[in-house]
Amino acid sequence: MKHPNQVQLALLAGGDLGLWDRWRTGRHVSGCASCAGEVQALRTTREQVREVTAELPENLNWNQLAEEMTANVRVGLAAGEAIARFDKPSLVGRPRHLGWNAAMVVACATVVFGAAFWINLPRPQMDHLLSALKRVRTERIGKLVQHPVAGTEDVMLEASSLSLDLSQNGRTLSLMHPHSDAVTVSVSMRGSMGVRYVDADTGQVTTNKVYDAEQ
Amino acid sequence: MRSSSVLGLILWSSAAFAGVLPKIDLPKDSPVAVIASDYGESSETARGGAMLLDLHAALTLRNSSQRRIRGITLLVTAQEVTPGGKGSVTVTSLDVGPFETFPLHIDLRLLRPLQASSAAPVQIGLDGVLFDDLSFYGSDKLGSRRTLTLSEFEARRDRKYFKSLVAEGGPERLRREILESMDHSAHFPTLDVQMVRGGRATNFEPEKQVQFAFLRLPDSPVDPMGGMARIAGNEARAPRLEVKNRSDRPIRYLEIGWILEDHGGRQFLAGSVPAELNLAPGQKSQILENATLKFPTRGGTPLAIEAMTGFVSSVEFADGSMWIPSRADLGVPQLQRVMAPSGEEQRLIQIYRKKGLAALIAELNKF
Repeated sequence: MKHPNQVQLALLAGGDLGLWDRWRTGRHVSGCASCAGEVQALRTTREQVREVTAELPENLNWNQLAEEMTANVRVGLAAGEAIARFDKPSLVGRPRHLGWNAAMVVACATVVFGAAFWINLPRPQMDHLLSALKRVRTERIGKLVQHPVAGTEDVMLEASSLSLDLSQNGRTLSLMHPHSDAVTVSVSMRGSMGVRYVDADTGQVTTNKVYDAEQ
Repeated sequence: MRSSSVLGLILWSSAAFAGVLPKIDLPKDSPVAVIASDYGESSETARGGAMLLDLHAALTLRNSSQRRIRGITLLVTAQEVTPGGKGSVTVTSLDVGPFETFPLHIDLRLLRPLQASSAAPVQIGLDGVLFDDLSFYGSDKLGSRRTLTLSEFEARRDRKYFKSLVAEGGPERLRREILESMDHSAHFPTLDVQMVRGGRATNFEPEKQVQFAFLRLPDSPVDPMGGMARIAGNEARAPRLEVKNRSDRPIRYLEIGWILEDHGGRQFLAGSVPAELNLAPGQKSQILENATLKFPTRGGTPLAIEAMTGFVSSVEFADGSMWIPSRADLGVPQLQRVMAPSGEEQRLIQIYRKKGLAALIAELNKF
Protein backbone atom coordinates (compact mmCIF):
# COMPACT_ATOMS: atom_id res chain seq x y z
CA MET A 1 0.00 0.00 0.00
CA LYS A 2 1.47 3.34 -1.02
CA HIS A 3 1.02 6.12 1.53
CA PRO A 4 0.52 9.72 0.44
CA ASN A 5 3.61 11.84 1.10
CA GLN A 6 3.80 14.42 3.88
CA VAL A 7 3.11 17.32 1.55
CA GLN A 8 -0.14 15.72 0.35
CA LEU A 9 -1.19 15.02 3.93
CA ALA A 10 -0.41 18.59 4.94
CA LEU A 11 -2.43 19.95 2.01
CA LEU A 12 -5.31 17.62 2.88
CA ALA A 13 -5.23 18.79 6.50
CA GLY A 14 -5.36 22.39 5.34
CA GLY A 15 -8.17 21.72 2.83
CA ASP A 16 -5.89 22.82 0.00
CA LEU A 17 -5.93 19.70 -2.16
CA GLY A 18 -7.73 19.64 -5.48
CA LEU A 19 -11.03 17.77 -5.85
CA TRP A 20 -9.61 14.51 -7.24
CA ASP A 21 -6.54 14.45 -4.99
CA ARG A 22 -8.71 15.22 -1.97
CA TRP A 23 -11.03 12.31 -2.71
CA ARG A 24 -8.16 9.93 -3.42
CA THR A 25 -6.06 10.94 -0.40
CA GLY A 26 -9.12 11.17 1.86
CA ARG A 27 -10.11 7.65 0.84
CA HIS A 28 -6.68 6.37 1.80
CA VAL A 29 -6.61 8.28 5.06
CA SER A 30 -10.01 6.94 6.12
CA GLY A 31 -8.61 3.41 5.93
CA CYS A 32 -5.09 4.06 7.23
CA ALA A 33 -4.62 4.73 10.94
CA SER A 34 -1.06 6.14 10.67
CA CYS A 35 -1.96 8.62 7.92
CA ALA A 36 -5.15 9.57 9.76
CA GLY A 37 -3.05 10.23 12.87
CA GLU A 38 -0.65 12.38 10.83
CA VAL A 39 -3.52 14.39 9.34
CA GLN A 40 -5.05 14.87 12.78
CA ALA A 41 -1.69 16.06 14.15
CA LEU A 42 -1.35 18.53 11.29
CA ARG A 43 -4.87 19.84 11.89
CA THR A 44 -4.12 20.30 15.57
CA THR A 45 -0.92 22.19 14.71
CA ARG A 46 -2.88 24.32 12.25
CA GLU A 47 -5.38 25.24 14.92
CA GLN A 48 -2.58 26.09 17.33
CA VAL A 49 -0.91 28.26 14.70
CA ARG A 50 -4.23 29.99 14.05
CA GLU A 51 -4.60 30.72 17.76
CA VAL A 52 -1.06 31.99 18.00
CA THR A 53 -1.38 34.21 14.92
CA ALA A 54 -4.55 35.74 16.34
CA GLU A 55 -2.35 37.25 19.06
CA LEU A 56 0.06 40.08 18.50
CA PRO A 57 3.48 38.67 17.68
CA GLU A 58 6.06 40.05 20.04
CA ASN A 59 8.36 41.48 17.38
CA LEU A 60 5.73 42.69 14.93
CA ASN A 61 6.14 46.37 14.22
CA TRP A 62 2.61 47.71 14.54
CA ASN A 63 3.90 51.23 14.33
CA GLN A 64 5.18 50.48 10.86
CA LEU A 65 1.93 48.80 9.81
CA ALA A 66 -0.12 51.63 11.26
CA GLU A 67 1.96 54.21 9.47
CA GLU A 68 1.63 52.30 6.20
CA MET A 69 -2.14 52.20 6.63
CA THR A 70 -2.13 55.89 7.44
CA ALA A 71 -0.07 56.58 4.36
CA ASN A 72 -2.38 54.49 2.17
CA VAL A 73 -5.48 56.25 3.44
CA ARG A 74 -3.86 59.61 2.80
CA VAL A 75 -2.87 58.60 -0.69
CA GLY A 76 -6.44 57.38 -1.29
CA LEU A 77 -7.89 60.69 -0.10
CA ALA A 78 -5.46 62.69 -2.19
CA ALA A 79 -6.18 60.53 -5.24
CA GLY A 80 -9.93 60.93 -4.66
CA GLU A 81 -9.59 64.70 -4.58
CA ALA A 82 -7.43 64.71 -7.68
CA ILE A 83 -9.88 62.52 -9.60
CA ALA A 84 -12.83 64.62 -8.46
CA ARG A 85 -11.16 67.79 -9.78
CA PHE A 86 -10.23 66.05 -13.01
CA ASP A 87 -13.73 64.73 -13.62
CA LYS A 88 -15.70 67.88 -12.81
CA PRO A 89 -15.78 69.49 -16.26
CA SER A 90 -16.73 66.26 -18.00
CA LEU A 91 -19.83 65.89 -15.80
CA VAL A 92 -21.44 68.79 -17.54
CA GLY A 93 -24.08 67.50 -19.93
CA ARG A 94 -23.78 63.90 -18.80
CA PRO A 95 -27.07 62.18 -17.79
CA ARG A 96 -27.33 62.63 -14.02
CA HIS A 97 -28.78 59.19 -13.20
CA LEU A 98 -25.76 57.37 -14.66
CA GLY A 99 -23.46 59.01 -12.14
CA TRP A 100 -25.78 58.04 -9.27
CA ASN A 101 -25.94 54.43 -10.48
CA ALA A 102 -22.17 54.18 -10.63
CA ALA A 103 -21.92 55.70 -7.19
CA MET A 104 -24.44 53.18 -5.84
CA VAL A 105 -22.48 50.25 -7.31
CA VAL A 106 -19.21 51.54 -5.85
CA ALA A 107 -20.86 52.19 -2.48
CA CYS A 108 -22.40 48.69 -2.34
CA ALA A 109 -19.09 47.08 -3.32
CA THR A 110 -17.33 49.12 -0.66
CA VAL A 111 -19.86 48.07 2.00
CA VAL A 112 -19.54 44.38 1.06
CA PHE A 113 -15.73 44.57 1.02
CA GLY A 114 -15.64 46.52 4.26
CA ALA A 115 -17.98 44.08 6.01
CA ALA A 116 -16.00 41.05 4.84
CA PHE A 117 -12.75 42.70 5.90
CA TRP A 118 -14.18 43.73 9.29
CA ILE A 119 -15.60 40.30 10.04
CA ASN A 120 -12.34 38.52 9.19
CA LEU A 121 -10.06 40.96 10.94
CA PRO A 122 -8.72 39.66 14.28
CA ARG A 123 -9.39 41.88 17.27
CA PRO A 124 -5.83 43.19 17.83
CA GLN A 125 -5.44 44.14 14.18
CA MET A 126 -8.82 45.87 14.31
CA ASP A 127 -7.64 47.96 17.24
CA HIS A 128 -4.58 49.03 15.34
CA LEU A 129 -6.60 49.90 12.26
CA LEU A 130 -8.90 52.04 14.41
CA SER A 131 -5.97 53.82 16.00
CA ALA A 132 -4.47 54.45 12.56
CA LEU A 133 -7.76 55.92 11.32
CA LYS A 134 -7.96 58.13 14.40
CA ARG A 135 -4.46 59.34 13.69
CA VAL A 136 -5.46 60.27 10.15
CA ARG A 137 -8.43 62.21 11.48
CA THR A 138 -6.45 64.11 14.06
CA GLU A 139 -3.57 65.01 11.80
CA ARG A 140 -3.87 67.47 8.96
CA ILE A 141 -5.37 65.71 5.96
CA GLY A 142 -3.34 66.00 2.80
CA LYS A 143 0.11 66.20 4.42
CA LEU A 144 2.74 64.58 2.25
CA VAL A 145 3.98 61.12 3.13
CA GLN A 146 7.63 61.73 3.82
CA HIS A 147 9.15 58.31 3.31
CA PRO A 148 8.57 55.68 0.66
CA VAL A 149 7.08 52.48 2.03
CA ALA A 150 9.33 49.46 1.94
CA GLY A 151 8.00 46.87 -0.51
CA THR A 152 7.27 43.28 0.37
CA GLU A 153 10.19 42.18 -1.74
CA ASP A 154 12.64 44.06 0.48
CA VAL A 155 15.33 42.00 2.12
CA MET A 156 15.65 42.40 5.86
CA LEU A 157 18.73 41.36 7.79
CA GLU A 158 18.37 40.77 11.50
CA ALA A 159 20.71 39.65 14.26
CA SER A 160 19.30 38.32 17.51
CA SER A 161 20.68 36.31 20.41
CA LEU A 162 20.17 32.97 18.61
CA SER A 163 20.28 33.53 14.90
CA LEU A 164 21.17 35.72 12.01
CA ASP A 165 18.19 36.01 9.68
CA LEU A 166 17.76 36.94 6.07
CA SER A 167 14.05 37.49 5.42
CA GLN A 168 12.40 38.18 2.14
CA ASN A 169 8.73 38.12 1.36
CA GLY A 170 7.86 36.02 4.40
CA ARG A 171 10.58 33.43 3.77
CA THR A 172 13.64 33.14 5.95
CA LEU A 173 17.18 31.80 5.83
CA SER A 174 18.66 31.70 9.34
CA LEU A 175 22.24 30.95 10.31
CA MET A 176 22.24 29.74 13.90
CA HIS A 177 24.81 30.53 16.56
CA PRO A 178 25.17 29.56 20.21
CA HIS A 179 23.56 31.72 22.87
CA SER A 180 26.69 33.13 24.48
CA ASP A 181 28.19 36.31 25.91
CA ALA A 182 31.08 36.00 23.50
CA VAL A 183 28.93 36.48 20.41
CA THR A 184 29.84 39.66 18.55
CA VAL A 185 27.50 41.27 16.04
CA SER A 186 28.87 43.35 13.17
CA VAL A 187 26.86 45.38 10.71
CA SER A 188 28.07 46.84 7.44
CA MET A 189 25.90 49.62 6.04
CA ARG A 190 26.64 48.29 2.58
CA GLY A 191 24.19 45.47 3.23
CA SER A 192 25.62 42.71 5.33
CA MET A 193 25.39 41.59 8.91
CA GLY A 194 27.61 39.16 10.77
CA VAL A 195 27.83 37.27 14.03
CA ARG A 196 31.21 36.06 15.28
CA TYR A 197 31.72 33.45 17.96
CA VAL A 198 34.16 30.76 19.01
CA ASP A 199 32.72 27.32 18.29
CA ALA A 200 32.69 25.42 21.57
CA ASP A 201 33.32 22.04 19.89
CA THR A 202 36.03 22.94 17.42
CA GLY A 203 37.51 26.02 19.14
CA GLN A 204 37.38 27.79 15.78
CA VAL A 205 36.61 31.46 15.28
CA THR A 206 33.44 31.27 13.18
CA THR A 207 31.67 34.17 11.53
CA ASN A 208 28.20 33.75 10.04
CA LYS A 209 27.09 36.47 7.68
CA VAL A 210 24.01 37.33 5.66
CA TYR A 211 23.98 39.70 2.71
CA ASP A 212 21.26 41.52 0.86
CA ALA A 213 20.92 41.31 -2.91
CA GLU A 214 23.18 44.17 -3.82
CA GLN A 215 26.24 42.94 -1.93
CA MET B 1 7.19 -7.55 10.78
CA ARG B 2 7.36 -4.68 13.23
CA SER B 3 11.12 -4.27 12.86
CA SER B 4 10.84 -4.31 9.09
CA SER B 5 8.22 -1.56 9.29
CA VAL B 6 10.52 0.53 11.48
CA LEU B 7 13.42 -0.09 9.12
CA GLY B 8 11.19 0.87 6.19
CA LEU B 9 10.17 4.04 7.96
CA ILE B 10 13.81 4.94 8.64
CA LEU B 11 14.76 4.28 5.03
CA TRP B 12 11.75 6.29 3.82
CA SER B 13 12.69 9.22 6.10
CA SER B 14 16.31 9.05 4.99
CA ALA B 15 15.30 9.02 1.35
CA ALA B 16 12.89 11.89 1.92
CA PHE B 17 15.53 13.93 3.78
CA ALA B 18 18.20 13.16 1.18
CA GLY B 19 16.26 15.41 -1.19
CA VAL B 20 16.86 18.43 1.02
CA LEU B 21 20.55 17.90 1.74
CA PRO B 22 22.69 20.82 0.59
CA LYS B 23 24.50 20.65 -2.70
CA ILE B 24 28.20 21.27 -2.06
CA ASP B 25 29.93 22.55 -5.13
CA LEU B 26 33.66 23.25 -4.97
CA PRO B 27 35.80 24.25 -7.98
CA LYS B 28 37.90 21.53 -9.59
CA ASP B 29 41.15 23.23 -8.62
CA SER B 30 39.93 24.04 -5.11
CA PRO B 31 42.65 23.96 -2.42
CA VAL B 32 40.16 22.27 -0.07
CA ALA B 33 38.13 19.10 -0.55
CA VAL B 34 35.17 17.75 1.39
CA ILE B 35 36.15 14.34 2.66
CA ALA B 36 33.19 13.73 4.99
CA SER B 37 29.82 15.26 5.76
CA ASP B 38 27.52 14.44 8.64
CA TYR B 39 23.98 15.80 8.84
CA GLY B 40 23.26 14.15 12.22
CA GLU B 41 20.26 15.89 13.73
CA SER B 42 19.03 17.60 10.60
CA SER B 43 15.32 17.37 9.87
CA GLU B 44 12.56 18.77 7.75
CA THR B 45 9.09 19.21 9.18
CA ALA B 46 5.82 20.72 8.04
CA ARG B 47 4.89 23.92 9.88
CA GLY B 48 1.42 25.06 8.87
CA GLY B 49 1.71 26.08 5.24
CA ALA B 50 5.49 25.84 5.10
CA MET B 51 8.36 23.41 5.53
CA LEU B 52 11.05 24.07 8.11
CA LEU B 53 14.44 22.69 7.19
CA ASP B 54 16.73 22.41 10.20
CA LEU B 55 20.19 21.66 8.84
CA HIS B 56 23.19 20.80 10.99
CA ALA B 57 26.12 20.04 8.74
CA ALA B 58 29.43 18.87 10.17
CA LEU B 59 31.85 18.92 7.26
CA THR B 60 35.39 17.62 7.29
CA LEU B 61 37.63 19.45 4.83
CA ARG B 62 41.13 18.61 3.71
CA ASN B 63 43.78 21.14 2.75
CA SER B 64 44.85 19.77 -0.62
CA SER B 65 47.30 22.61 -1.28
CA GLN B 66 50.97 22.91 -0.36
CA ARG B 67 50.45 25.99 1.83
CA ARG B 68 49.03 26.47 5.32
CA ILE B 69 45.45 27.68 5.43
CA ARG B 70 44.63 30.63 7.71
CA GLY B 71 40.98 31.20 6.83
CA ILE B 72 38.12 30.02 4.63
CA THR B 73 34.73 31.36 3.59
CA LEU B 74 31.90 29.16 2.31
CA LEU B 75 29.03 30.76 0.44
CA VAL B 76 25.53 29.58 1.41
CA THR B 77 22.65 30.30 -0.94
CA ALA B 78 18.98 29.35 -0.99
CA GLN B 79 17.82 30.91 -4.24
CA GLU B 80 14.34 29.41 -4.04
CA VAL B 81 13.72 30.97 -0.60
CA THR B 82 15.73 34.17 -0.65
CA PRO B 83 16.57 35.05 -4.25
CA GLY B 84 17.64 38.47 -3.08
CA GLY B 85 20.20 37.39 -0.55
CA LYS B 86 22.82 34.95 0.59
CA GLY B 87 24.77 33.83 3.61
CA SER B 88 28.30 32.77 4.39
CA VAL B 89 30.22 30.88 7.03
CA THR B 90 33.80 31.99 7.62
CA VAL B 91 36.40 30.36 9.82
CA THR B 92 39.48 32.41 10.68
CA SER B 93 42.58 31.98 12.87
CA LEU B 94 43.16 28.56 11.35
CA ASP B 95 46.54 26.87 11.06
CA VAL B 96 45.94 23.92 8.75
CA GLY B 97 49.00 22.40 7.11
CA PRO B 98 49.14 20.66 3.71
CA PHE B 99 46.91 17.53 3.56
CA GLU B 100 45.68 18.09 7.12
CA THR B 101 41.95 18.04 7.78
CA PHE B 102 39.78 20.44 9.72
CA PRO B 103 36.09 20.55 10.70
CA LEU B 104 33.57 23.16 9.62
CA HIS B 105 30.05 23.39 11.03
CA ILE B 106 27.06 24.96 9.32
CA ASP B 107 23.84 25.30 11.31
CA LEU B 108 20.96 26.84 9.42
CA ARG B 109 17.21 26.98 9.27
CA LEU B 110 15.19 27.49 6.15
CA LEU B 111 11.49 28.28 6.10
CA ARG B 112 10.29 27.47 2.61
CA PRO B 113 7.01 26.91 0.80
CA LEU B 114 5.27 23.56 1.20
CA GLN B 115 5.27 22.82 -2.50
CA ALA B 116 8.86 23.69 -3.23
CA SER B 117 10.77 22.30 -6.18
CA SER B 118 12.68 19.06 -5.82
CA ALA B 119 16.07 20.76 -6.29
CA ALA B 120 18.44 20.99 -3.31
CA PRO B 121 17.16 23.94 -1.27
CA VAL B 122 20.63 24.98 -0.07
CA GLN B 123 23.78 25.31 -2.15
CA ILE B 124 27.21 25.58 -0.55
CA GLY B 125 30.17 26.89 -2.50
CA LEU B 126 33.65 28.20 -1.85
CA ASP B 127 34.14 31.96 -1.80
CA GLY B 128 37.75 32.06 -0.74
CA VAL B 129 40.72 30.60 1.11
CA LEU B 130 43.53 32.66 2.68
CA PHE B 131 46.97 31.12 3.10
CA ASP B 132 49.71 31.93 5.61
CA ASP B 133 51.65 33.94 3.00
CA LEU B 134 48.47 36.10 2.59
CA SER B 135 47.89 34.73 -0.91
CA PHE B 136 44.26 34.05 -1.73
CA TYR B 137 42.24 31.58 -3.76
CA GLY B 138 38.58 31.94 -4.66
CA SER B 139 35.86 33.76 -6.56
CA ASP B 140 35.73 36.46 -3.83
CA LYS B 141 32.10 37.32 -4.59
CA LEU B 142 31.59 38.28 -0.95
CA GLY B 143 34.83 40.20 -0.50
CA SER B 144 36.37 37.33 1.48
CA ARG B 145 39.91 38.29 0.55
CA ARG B 146 39.62 41.56 2.47
CA THR B 147 37.68 40.06 5.40
CA LEU B 148 40.06 37.12 5.83
CA THR B 149 43.15 39.32 5.45
CA LEU B 150 41.88 41.82 8.03
CA SER B 151 41.17 38.96 10.45
CA GLU B 152 44.66 37.58 9.89
CA PHE B 153 46.20 41.01 10.55
CA GLU B 154 44.18 41.31 13.77
CA ALA B 155 45.24 37.80 14.81
CA ARG B 156 48.93 38.58 14.19
CA ARG B 157 48.65 41.89 16.06
CA ASP B 158 47.02 40.24 19.08
CA ARG B 159 49.38 37.23 19.22
CA LYS B 160 52.34 39.61 19.02
CA TYR B 161 50.87 41.68 21.85
CA PHE B 162 50.27 38.69 24.12
CA LYS B 163 53.73 37.32 23.37
CA SER B 164 55.22 40.69 24.32
CA LEU B 165 53.39 40.52 27.65
CA VAL B 166 54.99 37.15 28.40
CA ALA B 167 58.38 38.53 27.42
CA GLU B 168 57.95 41.61 29.62
CA GLY B 169 56.22 40.29 32.71
CA GLY B 170 56.17 36.53 32.42
CA PRO B 171 53.13 34.21 32.39
CA GLU B 172 51.43 36.08 35.26
CA ARG B 173 51.30 39.28 33.21
CA LEU B 174 49.61 37.34 30.40
CA ARG B 175 47.16 35.80 32.87
CA ARG B 176 46.18 39.25 34.22
CA GLU B 177 45.57 40.55 30.70
CA ILE B 178 43.49 37.51 29.73
CA LEU B 179 41.38 37.83 32.90
CA GLU B 180 40.78 41.52 32.15
CA SER B 181 39.77 40.60 28.61
CA MET B 182 37.36 37.93 29.93
CA ASP B 183 35.81 40.51 32.24
CA HIS B 184 35.47 42.97 29.36
CA SER B 185 33.82 40.30 27.16
CA ALA B 186 31.31 39.50 29.90
CA HIS B 187 30.21 43.14 30.12
CA PHE B 188 30.32 43.87 26.42
CA PRO B 189 27.11 45.66 25.31
CA THR B 190 25.17 43.82 22.59
CA LEU B 191 21.82 44.64 21.05
CA ASP B 192 19.49 43.03 18.56
CA VAL B 193 19.68 44.88 15.29
CA GLN B 194 17.74 44.99 12.02
CA MET B 195 18.83 46.48 8.72
CA VAL B 196 16.95 47.32 5.57
CA ARG B 197 18.70 48.76 2.53
CA GLY B 198 17.19 51.97 1.24
CA GLY B 199 14.86 51.83 4.23
CA ARG B 200 13.17 54.59 6.11
CA ALA B 201 12.31 55.73 9.57
CA THR B 202 9.24 53.81 10.68
CA ASN B 203 8.98 55.59 14.00
CA PHE B 204 6.58 58.37 14.79
CA GLU B 205 9.32 60.23 16.60
CA PRO B 206 10.43 63.22 14.56
CA GLU B 207 13.53 62.51 12.54
CA LYS B 208 16.53 64.72 13.13
CA GLN B 209 19.96 65.12 11.60
CA VAL B 210 22.72 64.42 14.05
CA GLN B 211 26.35 65.39 13.48
CA PHE B 212 29.11 62.85 14.00
CA ALA B 213 31.75 63.47 16.64
CA PHE B 214 35.04 61.80 15.72
CA LEU B 215 37.55 59.78 17.61
CA ARG B 216 40.89 60.49 15.92
CA LEU B 217 43.40 57.66 16.18
CA PRO B 218 46.97 58.97 16.01
CA ASP B 219 48.27 56.53 13.38
CA SER B 220 45.18 56.44 11.20
CA PRO B 221 45.95 57.13 7.52
CA VAL B 222 42.48 58.67 7.10
CA ASP B 223 41.14 61.79 8.77
CA PRO B 224 37.36 61.95 9.24
CA MET B 225 36.38 65.56 8.44
CA GLY B 226 32.68 65.63 9.21
CA GLY B 227 29.44 63.76 8.83
CA MET B 228 25.85 63.33 9.80
CA ALA B 229 23.07 60.73 9.87
CA ARG B 230 19.30 60.78 10.33
CA ILE B 231 18.08 59.61 13.71
CA ALA B 232 14.54 58.83 14.84
CA GLY B 233 14.12 57.12 18.20
CA ASN B 234 15.83 53.76 17.92
CA GLU B 235 16.59 54.10 14.21
CA ALA B 236 19.65 55.48 12.48
CA ARG B 237 19.89 55.82 8.74
CA ALA B 238 21.60 57.34 5.75
CA PRO B 239 25.03 58.16 7.20
CA ARG B 240 27.02 60.72 5.21
CA LEU B 241 30.71 61.19 5.96
CA GLU B 242 33.61 63.17 4.58
CA VAL B 243 37.12 61.76 4.85
CA LYS B 244 40.63 62.85 3.86
CA ASN B 245 43.59 60.66 3.00
CA ARG B 246 46.41 61.93 5.17
CA SER B 247 48.87 59.21 4.18
CA ASP B 248 51.34 59.26 1.30
CA ARG B 249 49.75 56.25 -0.42
CA PRO B 250 46.53 55.95 -2.43
CA ILE B 251 43.65 54.25 -0.60
CA ARG B 252 41.09 51.92 -2.21
CA TYR B 253 38.90 50.89 0.74
CA LEU B 254 38.12 52.12 4.22
CA GLU B 255 35.63 51.51 6.99
CA ILE B 256 34.35 53.98 9.55
CA GLY B 257 33.13 52.47 12.81
CA TRP B 258 29.88 53.96 14.04
CA ILE B 259 29.29 54.32 17.79
CA LEU B 260 25.80 55.32 18.96
CA GLU B 261 24.93 56.78 22.35
CA ASP B 262 21.47 56.79 23.88
CA HIS B 263 19.92 59.38 26.19
CA GLY B 264 21.11 57.40 29.21
CA GLY B 265 24.73 57.71 28.09
CA ARG B 266 25.02 54.03 27.06
CA GLN B 267 27.34 53.57 24.11
CA PHE B 268 27.52 50.69 21.66
CA LEU B 269 29.12 49.96 18.32
CA ALA B 270 26.23 50.08 15.86
CA GLY B 271 28.07 49.07 12.73
CA SER B 272 30.48 50.27 10.14
CA VAL B 273 30.22 52.42 7.06
CA PRO B 274 32.45 50.92 4.37
CA ALA B 275 33.56 52.64 1.19
CA GLU B 276 35.34 51.45 -1.91
CA LEU B 277 37.02 54.49 -3.38
CA ASN B 278 40.13 55.76 -5.07
CA LEU B 279 41.55 58.29 -2.67
CA ALA B 280 44.88 59.83 -3.62
CA PRO B 281 47.17 61.26 -0.90
CA GLY B 282 45.70 64.51 0.48
CA GLN B 283 42.40 63.99 -1.37
CA LYS B 284 38.95 64.26 0.24
CA SER B 285 35.90 62.11 -0.49
CA GLN B 286 32.31 61.73 0.64
CA ILE B 287 30.83 58.43 1.76
CA LEU B 288 27.08 57.90 1.54
CA GLU B 289 25.05 54.83 2.45
CA ASN B 290 21.30 54.53 2.14
CA ALA B 291 20.45 51.90 4.70
CA THR B 292 18.51 51.95 7.94
CA LEU B 293 19.57 50.37 11.21
CA LYS B 294 16.96 49.67 13.83
CA PHE B 295 17.54 48.46 17.37
CA PRO B 296 14.33 46.75 18.51
CA THR B 297 13.80 46.57 22.25
CA ARG B 298 12.80 43.24 23.73
CA GLY B 299 11.43 44.57 27.01
CA GLY B 300 13.13 47.25 29.05
CA THR B 301 13.55 50.89 28.16
CA PRO B 302 13.29 51.68 24.45
CA LEU B 303 16.52 52.92 22.97
CA ALA B 304 16.59 56.61 22.09
CA ILE B 305 19.68 57.52 20.10
CA GLU B 306 21.07 60.93 21.00
CA ALA B 307 24.64 61.16 19.73
CA MET B 308 27.09 59.45 17.38
CA THR B 309 30.84 59.00 17.18
CA GLY B 310 32.84 57.77 14.21
CA PHE B 311 36.35 56.37 13.98
CA VAL B 312 38.44 54.84 11.23
CA SER B 313 38.36 51.09 11.81
CA SER B 314 40.30 49.78 8.78
CA VAL B 315 41.98 50.98 5.61
CA GLU B 316 43.20 49.12 2.53
CA PHE B 317 45.81 50.83 0.36
CA ALA B 318 45.92 50.53 -3.41
CA ASP B 319 48.95 48.21 -3.15
CA GLY B 320 46.88 45.71 -1.11
CA SER B 321 48.47 46.47 2.26
CA MET B 322 46.18 47.27 5.16
CA TRP B 323 45.97 49.40 8.26
CA ILE B 324 44.07 48.42 11.41
CA PRO B 325 44.02 50.15 14.82
CA SER B 326 46.93 49.17 17.07
CA ARG B 327 46.47 47.69 20.54
CA ALA B 328 47.34 51.14 21.92
CA ASP B 329 44.52 52.67 19.82
CA LEU B 330 42.09 50.07 21.14
CA GLY B 331 43.08 51.07 24.67
CA VAL B 332 41.39 54.48 24.27
CA PRO B 333 38.56 54.33 26.87
CA GLN B 334 35.77 55.17 24.43
CA LEU B 335 36.87 52.41 22.04
CA GLN B 336 37.58 49.95 24.81
CA ARG B 337 33.98 50.30 26.03
CA VAL B 338 32.42 49.39 22.70
CA MET B 339 34.93 47.28 20.76
CA ALA B 340 34.69 43.54 21.26
CA PRO B 341 37.91 41.55 21.53
CA SER B 342 39.11 40.27 18.15
CA GLY B 343 38.24 36.74 17.06
CA GLU B 344 41.78 35.63 17.80
CA GLU B 345 41.67 37.13 21.29
CA GLN B 346 38.40 35.29 21.96
CA ARG B 347 39.94 32.06 20.71
CA LEU B 348 42.95 32.51 23.00
CA ILE B 349 40.64 33.27 25.93
CA GLN B 350 38.82 30.02 25.26
CA ILE B 351 42.08 28.07 25.18
CA TYR B 352 42.96 29.61 28.57
CA ARG B 353 39.50 28.79 29.93
CA LYS B 354 39.56 25.17 28.78
CA LYS B 355 43.23 24.21 29.00
CA GLY B 356 44.97 26.77 31.19
CA LEU B 357 47.88 29.19 30.96
CA ALA B 358 50.52 26.68 29.82
CA ALA B 359 48.39 25.63 26.86
CA LEU B 360 47.80 29.27 25.94
CA ILE B 361 51.52 30.04 25.96
CA ALA B 362 52.17 26.91 23.88
CA GLU B 363 49.54 28.07 21.38
CA LEU B 364 51.17 31.52 21.13
CA ASN B 365 54.54 29.91 20.52
CA LYS B 366 53.16 27.90 17.59
CA PHE B 367 53.10 31.04 15.45
